[in-house]
Amino acid sequence: MRKLKVLCLVLLISILTVSCTQVENGYDAQGFAMGTVITQHIFSANAEKITGKVLDKIKQLEKIMTINAPGSEVDFLNASAGNGKWVKLDPEIIYVMKKALDFGARSNGAFDITVGPLVKAWGIFTDHPKIPSPAALVQLKKLINYKDLSIDESTSSARLRLKGQIVDLGGIAKGYAGDVAKEIYLKNGVTSAYISLGGNIVALGSKPDGTPWNVGIQNPRLPNGKYLAVIPVQNKSVVTSGDYERFFMKNNIRYHHILDTKTGYPSDSGLISTSIISDLSIDGDALSTSTFVLGLEKGMALIESLPGVEAIFITKDKKIYVTSGLKDIITFTDDGKEFTYVEKR
Amino acid sequence: MLKKGDVILVIAVIALIAGAFLFSNLMRNQDAGKDKSAEIIQNETLVRSFDLSKVTTPEDITVTGKYRNVIRVEQGRIRFLEANCPDQVCVKTGWLQNNGDIAVCLPNRTIIKIIGKAENIDIVSY
Repeated sequence: MRKLKVLCLVLLISILTVSCTQVENGYDAQGFAMGTVITQHIFSANAEKITGKVLDKIKQLEKIMTINAPGSEVDFLNASAGNGKWVKLDPEIIYVMKKALDFGARSNGAFDITVGPLVKAWGIFTDHPKIPSPAALVQLKKLINYKDLSIDESTSSARLRLKGQIVDLGGIAKGYAGDVAKEIYLKNGVTSAYISLGGNIVALGSKPDGTPWNVGIQNPRLPNGKYLAVIPVQNKSVVTSGDYERFFMKNNIRYHHILDTKTGYPSDSGLISTSIISDLSIDGDALSTSTFVLGLEKGMALIESLPGVEAIFITKDKKIYVTSGLKDIITFTDDGKEFTYVEKR
Repeated sequence: MLKKGDVILVIAVIALIAGAFLFSNLMRNQDAGKDKSAEIIQNETLVRSFDLSKVTTPEDITVTGKYRNVIRVEQGRIRFLEANCPDQVCVKTGWLQNNGDIAVCLPNRTIIKIIGKAENIDIVSY
């Protein structure tokens, strides 16, 4: 009998040792959802199952929140715009919309999820983007006002005031999905992982050796993957908005995907890239767009009003501004010295 | 108390495990310098994989879907050579040659990547 016990113990040790070696290098998974590529890197003995669970969840969120394919819950909300009826929505949509309205108010409308009619007019996220006529933009701008979205949490429902208004969660849904992914990791006992949702990064814990994750910040004027700075992070979200992500050129003018609801045109605030480091990725997603539209001064003021949030702003004249919490940990890797670093406050 | 035989058995098994562990680590470290495997993935399915260090003659691989990608594979490197997608982000990404490099054609849901981890960073925010 005792021999059996000893053998069992030895077997147990050997199984643990083997599974540890499998976990050692981490597991990579890639998939497509929310109109972008999702990359996961996790350390777990159940990595394949957990990354699959996360991708499925993101696809489910896309299904209920998208306005780029028919039949989502947000589509029902938009279709009822102006008819006075409350539309029952998934509590996750209600949460995301409440957050969006909060950032709408904080950014004085620079972040506005009722931007839908403008997004449609510009053909953003289609293969055929176009420049709407100034007259059309004047009309469409009348439909843009986040204050026209009413939410009733007690019944998990919402409504839009005017016919033709369109809620578009494209500027915040990926951030929320990143937070949900992190929850799934934690629920499954994962303590070390990161996920990238089209460049929105959520880093869980640190690397298995205890050192922070090193997140590169995309060089806005070089091909994808070329970075100009590195920041070490643990348990943080890093979200970047840039004019290089989705854009088209016409007559030498760059038309990008971040629209300024005040003008109806792609934002021209002087910023070409904003990165937000925060605890929640939903905050980072909303704030990267908000600050991109607000510009350097107002954007910095907004970030400074929020505790625990840091930012990196890059201007059109190739200057990099960072908040005080980053200045000691950020490393610049811009070998060409094309960009200048300006210490900010 | 354990009998003498038990002790020998335990020691023998532990030695075996330790040996296997060391051996696998040794193999991995040896591989690290040479091995450079690349993958072409479309619609979340592996299309082809290569050991880039063993490619002798350049090869073009065509991946079709909603659009068409031509992927060039050479010794030690891989890239999107041509695509008829609207944004051309994949082609503009250029050559991949370091561990962890990745290029994506979103419209055609095609990914090419070099397996492994980049040296200085874990992931890029864009």
